[in-house]
Amino acid sequence: MRKKFNLLIGIVLITALLFTLTGCASKDSKAVYPSKPVNMIIAFTAGGSSDVQARVVEKFWKKEFNNQPLVFDYKVGAGGQVGFTEITKANPDGYTIGGINVPHIVFQALSSQATFKTEDFAYIAQVVKDPLLLAVKKDSPINNLNDFIAEAKKKDGKMNVGIVGPFTAHHVGIFQLADELKIKVNPVIFKGAADQNVALLGGHVDAMLGNLNDVMRDLNNFKILALADDQRHPWIKDVPTFKEQNVNFKADIRRGFAAPKNIKPEVLQKLREGFKKICNDPEYLKEMEKIGQPAAYLSGEEFEKYVQEYTVNAKSVIEKYGLK
Amino acid sequence: MFETLSQLMNGFAIALAPQNLLFGFIGCLLGTLIGVLPGIGPTSGIAMLLPLTTILEPTAAIIMLAGLYYGAMYGGSTTAILVNIPGEVSSVPTALDGYKLARQGKAGLALSMAAISSFVAGTLSLLGLTFFAPNLAKMALQFGPPEYFALMVLALSVVVNLSGRSLLKGLISGFVGFLIASIGMDPMTGVNRFSFGNLNLMSGIDFISVIIGLFAVTEILSNVEENAVDVYQTKLTGLWPKLSDLIYTLPAMLRSTVIGFFMGLLPGCSPGVTSFVAYDTEKRISKNPEKFGTGEILGVVAPEGANNATTSGGFVPLMAFGIPSGPALAVLLGGLMMYGLQPGPTLFEKHGDFVWAVIASMYVGNVILLVLNLPLVGLWAKLCKVPYPILAPMVLVFSFLGAYSVRFKLFDVGIALVFGLIGWIMKKTDFPASPLILCLILADMFETSLKQSLSMAQGNPLIFLSRPISLVLILIALVLAGFSIYTRYSDPKKAAQMMVESE
Repeated sequence: MRKKFNLLIGIVLITALLFTLTGCASKDSKAVYPSKPVNMIIAFTAGGSSDVQARVVEKFWKKEFNNQPLVFDYKVGAGGQVGFTEITKANPDGYTIGGINVPHIVFQALSSQATFKTEDFAYIAQVVKDPLLLAVKKDSPINNLNDFIAEAKKKDGKMNVGIVGPFTAHHVGIFQLADELKIKVNPVIFKGAADQNVALLGGHVDAMLGNLNDVMRDLNNFKILALADDQRHPWIKDVPTFKEQNVNFKADIRRGFAAPKNIKPEVLQKLREGFKKICNDPEYLKEMEKIGQPAAYLSGEEFEKYVQEYTVNAKSVIEKYGLK
Repeated sequence: MFETLSQLMNGFAIALAPQNLLFGFIGCLLGTLIGVLPGIGPTSGIAMLLPLTTILEPTAAIIMLAGLYYGAMYGGSTTAILVNIPGEVSSVPTALDGYKLARQGKAGLALSMAAISSFVAGTLSLLGLTFFAPNLAKMALQFGPPEYFALMVLALSVVVNLSGRSLLKGLISGFVGFLIASIGMDPMTGVNRFSFGNLNLMSGIDFISVIIGLFAVTEILSNVEENAVDVYQTKLTGLWPKLSDLIYTLPAMLRSTVIGFFMGLLPGCSPGVTSFVAYDTEKRISKNPEKFGTGEILGVVAPEGANNATTSGGFVPLMAFGIPSGPALAVLLGGLMMYGLQPGPTLFEKHGDFVWAVIASMYVGNVILLVLNLPLVGLWAKLCKVPYPILAPMVLVFSFLGAYSVRFKLFDVGIALVFGLIGWIMKKTDFPASPLILCLILADMFETSLKQSLSMAQGNPLIFLSRPISLVLILIALVLAGFSIYTRYSDPKKAAQMMVESE
């Protein structure tokens, strides 16, 4: 009798459980996206610039996305390639998105060891445009771009310019810049902005092609010769652009967010709208200035178009300088 | 000087406020735990706590994260001594003698001396941080790629001394370490090496999983092989150090403080490197170098002192230039950035209260850690009495957890397993594991700085001899290596004693 009773209870419980489960499932599909936490893949180390920026987004995320949290997932390695690949291979249900960097994804997609294509991403938004700049140490005898050119000619190809590389905006940029200025320089590759900056401050390289974000940490120790953007930047108003000095050189690093390409259009739409609201929030912009990253919003469509254009451009540059 | 003191006192006032004291304590406690768990290092520990910075106010949060960082250096020695598993890379040399001491029943002595040495070196190097930070930071800038290369050569000269019975086998082991490090992307050209198109191999082999394999898994494999269930036959003796022990080890503590602190000033010199150098220094100047590797307490004191001194040293370039000297500090830098606290000379001017509160909290933290760790010694030492069949699976679980937690990849657990087997074979064939690990740790900076230097000099290797600092460092390395080889071959008796060392 007791056994039968137990069996009965068991059956009742299991049925109840099944009902609950199916109930959950049907509720899930009807519910607005997102109905559970969203995974955020970061392709660089925790505490790095990409992570710090995404953490700022996180502060405003819940408000736009149904009060669901972001869960950070660091997939680090191979200059970001590991994490970027993870994004393209993730389940396209909208519950995995990730941070992407341009031109990193472009060069990696063009490399002979590519593990993804730029078309494998569904672009959500661009959030940062960090322009490149040419800088020397504070007490360097070089005071402007002309001094730099003169010094480079004097050293006859032996002038050391620190860059972050390989296959980066800096790496390609230094070749383009040298061509534009009709000089020869010797690029010295560093693994990250930190060791690049310290080598310049220690006088171990003559100049560097760096980023606005990195020199903002320690403006007093640098002399910035020119900014590789269309207009002057409000944070360093005194620094002229290359364009002002009749040099056609524009380069930057961009950060944005993407999902795997087969994501449902309505979910992608929701993500794009949410990011648009976050990126135009004055509080968000204040936070971005605090972390020293130049905020520059582009919609998913615009960002995608930029990546396509950059890819065409990059192909010819890679061939021209034999970077492969 | 006086101004610094008054600022420091101000800092103490903030650091000792109940809330900050509490978070400092939490940081130290978590750091100790993270240090004890193999593999889960300060880097992943700080990264895991980083989201908390969105809730806490900056001073409390950074005090906690910093506490976690130097606290991990205290905890790292525990498993190295007790079960031959270095909790952190920096405790690899500690395991060499610490584990032997534990098997002789002197686990208590080794543990308490490790804690005392950590405290002494930690506190002394904080004085260096307090009074000389800006000047020292300028000194660190003198180190460009050629100087780093020379420093790596100097660190490599340690290999000769870590080789045990056969110099050849030690060198082979070291070369294998270099080979393993070359897997993945070439840092200068981006070309993939030995990756076979596998994305996991493209990102390189993480040395934490290699260390876990070579130490933890190997240790368990070779213990399982033996029938004896009791790995620790001897009774526990001498839980606390005697005054004579303190007097005997004090000079070594001071020396390793100096080594650890000054090398810690250089970005890229992680505690893992300095603890090897400190261990080697003690072995070299010792009257009985043959005792090292058989349970010499100095072999525990030196690396533990050095790695704590390095953590304080690392704060100098971090605060003065915003340059992290290792991955853990890079994550901490991210924490600072999230608060909009841009490190650099202006940090001291703009956020002086904050900086001095953090520095003061580190003095407090060192005391907390000593008080926290010494009573635990008895408890930890009892761990030796846990029957091995129970202990071993637990150790394995934590090891794999640690290997996984570095990059959250199952691949790394596989690597730990593979290196467990490799380590077991190496043990059978008498190849020492330490040279492999040291070379694996050094290889990255060795290669990068070599290529950068040659690129700076248009391929002319004379650059290393034309710059005074690098010239001196390379000469010291050559003299040290030459001297070690000379004693090895000129004094067969001593060489014979060395044989004991690798068991």
